[in-house]
Formats: sequence, C-alpha cells, structure tokens
Amino acid sequence: MSENASGAVDLGRGLILPNPVGLASGTAGYGFELDQLIDINRVGALYTKGTTVRAREGNPPPRVAETGGGMLNSIGLQNPGVDAVAAEYAPRWKGWAIQVIVNIAGGSVEEYVHCTTVLEPIDEVAGIELNISCPNIARGLDFGRDPVAAARLVAAVRAVTERCVIVKLSPNVTDIAAVARAVEDAGADAVSAVNTYIGRKIHRASGRSVLPLGNGGLSGPAIQPLALAAVAAVCEAVDIPVIGVGGIVDAASARDFLIVGASAVQVGTATFVNPETALQVLDGLRG
Amino acid sequence: MTADLSRAARETGEVLVVERLGGGLLELVARLPHLAATALPGTFAQLRCGQGTTPLLRRPFSVAWTQDDTCGFVFEAVGAGTRLLSELQPGDPLDSLGPLGHGFSVVDAGPVVCVSGGLGCAPFPLLINELRRRGVEDIFVLNGARTATRLYPASRFARPAVPVVAEATDDGTRGHHGFVTDLLGQALSSHPSALYACGPNAMLGAVMRTLVDSGAELPPTLEASLEAPMGCGFGTCLGCALPALDEAGSSVWRLCCTDGPVMAMRDVDWEGIGALPGADVA
Ligand SMILES: Cc1cc2nc3c(=O)[nH]c(=O)nc-3n(C[C@H](O)[C@H](O)[C@H](O)COP(=O)(O)OP(=O)(O)OC[C@H]3O[C@@H](n4cnc5c(N)ncnc54)[C@H](O)[C@@H]3O)c2cc1C
Ligand SMILES: Cc1cc2nc3c(=O)[nH]c(=O)nc-3n(C[C@H](O)[C@H](O)[C@H](O)COP(=O)(O)O)c2cc1C
Ligand code: FES
Repeated sequence: MSENASGAVDLGRGLILPNPVGLASGTAGYGFELDQLIDINRVGALYTKGTTVRAREGNPPPRVAETGGGMLNSIGLQNPGVDAVAAEYAPRWKGWAIQVIVNIAGGSVEEYVHCTTVLEPIDEVAGIELNISCPNIARGLDFGRDPVAAARLVAAVRAVTERCVIVKLSPNVTDIAAVARAVEDAGADAVSAVNTYIGRKIHRASGRSVLPLGNGGLSGPAIQPLALAAVAAVCEAVDIPVIGVGGIVDAASARDFLIVGASAVQVGTATFVNPETALQVLDGLRG
Repeated sequence: MTADLSRAARETGEVLVVERLGGGLLELVARLPHLAATALPGTFAQLRCGQGTTPLLRRPFSVAWTQDDTCGFVFEAVGAGTRLLSELQPGDPLDSLGPLGHGFSVVDAGPVVCVSGGLGCAPFPLLINELRRRGVEDIFVLNGARTATRLYPASRFARPAVPVVAEATDDGTRGHHGFVTDLLGQALSSHPSALYACGPNAMLGAVMRTLVDSGAELPPTLEASLEAPMGCGFGTCLGCALPALDEAGSSVWRLCCTDGPVMAMRDVDWEGIGALPGADVA
C-alpha cells in the first residue's frame, strides 16, 4: 500500500483512476463549480450528484444543519434529471483528465436501468456509481438494506452496461458485508462505502427536529471511525476494489482507509470547508 | 446554470482588530487583499471560525466594506462560530473564501433607499460607496434594530460623507418607536429608482408586504439580501435552497449562495419564506 498509495487505481472494465482520490457524490455537483475553484483535473475522480430519471426539486429547507464535527443534510436528490445531464453536462466534461463517474439513484430497478442506458453511449462518462443508500428520499434505502434486492438491481444494470459499475453502500444496515458480497456476486466491479449515517438534530427551544423530514444524513469527521469500521468489514468480505468514504479531512484520515484495505477514497464534506482538500489529500499521500 | 465563481479564492488573511460597537455588535477588520480587491456590493465571504472540526463549516458574512487591502465584517456573537470570531486578536490568521454570491445591481441614478434590519446593515457601506462612486448622492438609509445600542452607527454607513439615516427601534430608545417598515411610506414618496433591503428573512417579507400594501409604484430595482443556512457557499451542496418564483409565477427553489444572496424581491416566494423556521433553528 505505502509505496503506491497515490498511484493509478484499476477499478475494472477499463476504468483506471489516475490516482486514488475522488470527490464524493453530492459534494461536488457535476464538477463545474469546483472547476473554477481548484485544479480539478489533478483529482482522480468526480462522483457526480445523485442523478435520477426525471428532474427532482429536492426537499424543503432547511436542508443542512451542523452537529459536533459533522453536518446533517436533507437535500432530497435535487438534480436536473439524466437527460439534462447527458445532453447539457456531459459535453462540458470533454477533455477533462478527472474521471467522471455518474452517481445514479432511483425508486425501482427500471429507473436505474433507464439512467444507465441513457448514459451508456456517452464517452465522457467513465463509470456508474449506483446509489442504493440515500437516506433522504422515500424508499431511498430499499435496495441498500436488502442483499437480495441489491443483487437483483446490480444484475439488471450489469446487463445493460459495459462500463464499470460501482455500488455505493449504506452504513444504515445490520450487516454491510452481506450487502457487499451480494452485489459482488451480482457483477459489481467495485463498491464505495459509506453513504451518510441517519441522524437527527433537535432545535432545543422548540423541541422540534431541525430538518423538515425529521432525520437527515450525517457526514464529516464525526463519522470517520464508523466509516472505517464499515469499510474494514467490506474489505474483508469482497475481492473487488473498495472505495473508502466518510469523514476524510486530510491525508492521514484518508490513509486509514487504505490501511484497512480500500483501493481509493472519496472526499466529501471536507470539500465544503476547504475546496482544496482532495488535492491536499493527494499531495499528502504522495508526500 | 453554473454559478460564476471566477472571482472567488481562498486566502489566509490577518486580523487587524475586532471592535466592539456596543449592544453586542462587532466589527471585524482583517487584511484580506484578494477579497478587498474583488468583493462587489452584496457579495459575501465564507469565513472559517477556529481551526478545529467543531464548528466544522464556514460561516457566511457580507463584506461590509473594503479599503485598500482590508475588509470589514459586522456581526454579533450568536453561536459557536461567531463566538470564535469575536475572540480573535490582532495578528490572528483569518481564513476566507470569497467573494461569493450574486450581489446588488447597482443603479447609476437615485434616489436610492436602503432598508436595514438589525445586522442587515452589513452589506450597505460597500453598496453606498459604490453608489457614490457612480455619482448617486440622494441615498436614504432606513435603519431598524431592537434597541438603540444595537443600531449600527449612522456614521459608519459611508465615510466620509454620511448619508441620510432614519432610525427606528422596537423599544423606542432611539428614533421612531416601532418597526423600520413604518418608515417606508415616506421614503417611497421620493420615487426611488432602487430599494435595497437586508435583514432577517421575516423582516424582508414585511418590507415587501408593506410596499405592496402601500399601493405605491414599486421601485424598478427592488432587491433583498436573503439568508439560508449554508453547507458550502459555492453552489455544490444544494443545501441553501429558498423558495422563489419562476417566470410563470410557480414556486421553485433557488440557491441562496449562488442565485442569491441578493434576489429581486419580485422573484421571491415570500409566502414560502414566511413558512420557514427562523435562522436560529439551524
Ligand atoms: C449570505 C449571508 C450573509 C450573512 N452576513 C452576515 C453578516 O454580515 N453579519 C452577521 O452577523 N451575520 C451574517 N449572516 C448570518 C451568519 O452567517 C450567522 O449568524 C452565522 O452563521 C451564525 O454562526 P454561529 O456558529 O455563530 O451560529 P450557529 O447557530 O451555531 O450556527 C449553526 C449553523 O446555522 C447556520 N446559521 C445560523 N444562523 C444563521 C443565519 N442567521 N443565517 C444563515 N445561517 C445561519 C450557520 O451557518 C451554521 O451552519 C449572513 C448569512 C448569510 C446567509
Ligand atoms: C450535502 C450532501 C449531499 C450528498 N449527496 C449524495 C448523493 O446525491 N449521492 C450519494 O451517493 N451520496 C451523497 N452524499 C454522501 C457523500 O457522497 C458521502 O458518502 C458522505 O457524505 C460521507 O463522506 P464525508 O463524510 O466525506 O462527507 C451526500 C453528502 C452530503 C454531505
Ligand atoms: S451553500 Fe451549498 S449550494 Fe448553497
């Protein structure tokens, strides 16, 4: 691990990340904002905002709330829909060195398959990340919690794409390793773990939840030890590459994931605090 | 549409002073050459509060004024982040990401009315400075606060020449006894070309309601700087949604950080804003 910690990572099916550091889904949009703030093409991979068949408006505000060492979000998968991503965003990725992996989400197998099919002919799309773990939409976790349903979904997507398929796992399960094994058996090329942890914050003056739907997804440094344990369990369970995500703020917290067996990492919330975090992680791993 | 972030940059500046203005109001002055050179009226900076992971996220602050390579911010210690800012000492580093957001459309001819509620004073010195630079002289500031000590001093809205400032306090300790919106009627009689408002979202809604109820012709430029809790401040987290109206008048979400914080008041869904919990809920 140590001598090659910043080298290229082969995720399978021809998807080779130039380096192991990625920008996590939902924390980098479709790349166009961060492209103006950092040298985005030095980062290995961009995992886009969760994209669905139709445009989604997202949840009512407030959508974010801070907690000790972390934040809760309830964005509700606001996105322009896969057709707009294919027609308007993908052409703008032309020539980018960063590998763009489109994160897709849906409420049924058909919706995931539809999104995958729309993206299949687009050269600028380097891979697909299946979000089976969104805590902020109705039924967002249905696939992530049930190994059988997850496997059925992955097999259906596998059947319509030659691209690298990464499955984003939910930590909000009893046995994350069982889900990881099921999606590996169903043909996933890699898994990423973890999505946010279900959490809640109470506004103490009123006794009500801060977030309108009650719960949100917890991210940031507060979850790093939890994510690390989940990723370690996944690494022990599968042979396909594992991408570690959760609470990374610097090279040291990223290296922890490589030590437990991850092949690559994603930086999420820390990008909000400092847009350069992914680059600093990369430089630190090289250093 | 992707936000234009071409002016934004992260820089580590240096605190020059944290001045106590009374009533809990604080003015933080820092050497931040990039921000000072590029901030436009109504834009904001995401300031890091402390070095640790709690508080984690940056906090948004309007750029109150700029002079040479320094910037001023006006705030109050309301929570963990602002408390850390209030404790900064001269020489301490200050990490800023900015300027961010869509600012005021600055008109070239007056009269202009600026309506400030509480800490809503923050963006006005920079705006007034730019209006003056464009030759606009007839600027009326309506400044409201809970009590006299919490009124941003009239002399600080613009230097050296102070604009006309009418004050209102909820408790009557200075100026008009009542809300700043009570002063709108008279200000409107000057047929302003622009009205700019900043303050808590509920106060901005009251300004809009008062304007509409007055039956007077609305100023052609009618803008407000709104607030929302922010994750990133630069358009990627989608956390700062506010209810707005699209061209057809249907309710849509707009991002406070990139579509705003300054929005045309005609395009804001004030009913939706009124239904949101107050900022302290975050
Ligand atoms: C565009 C913009 C410009 C602003 N400019 C100023 C200014 O010039 N002066 C000033 O005093 N305040 C300003 N605010 C409000 C300021 O950002 C909050 O007072 C500050 O974030 C509170 O942080 P805290 O840690 O002290 O409080 P906490 O309550 O501990 O903050 C917790 C979370 O809630 C959010 N939050 C809390 N209150 C507000 C609020 N009123 N608006 C938005 N988010 C909030 C914070 O960002 C943070 O994520 C501005 C807000 C916005 C959106
Ligand atoms: C505001 C926000 C939005 C997110 N949106 C998505 C999403 O659309 N799809 C997804 O798979 N994960 C999403 N995530 C989860 C992140 O990709 C990541 O798994 C999680 O935040 C943990 O990493 P972190 O602690 O580094 O942020 C989102 C996270 C945040 C904070
Ligand atoms: S604060 Fe993140 S999109 Fe506005």
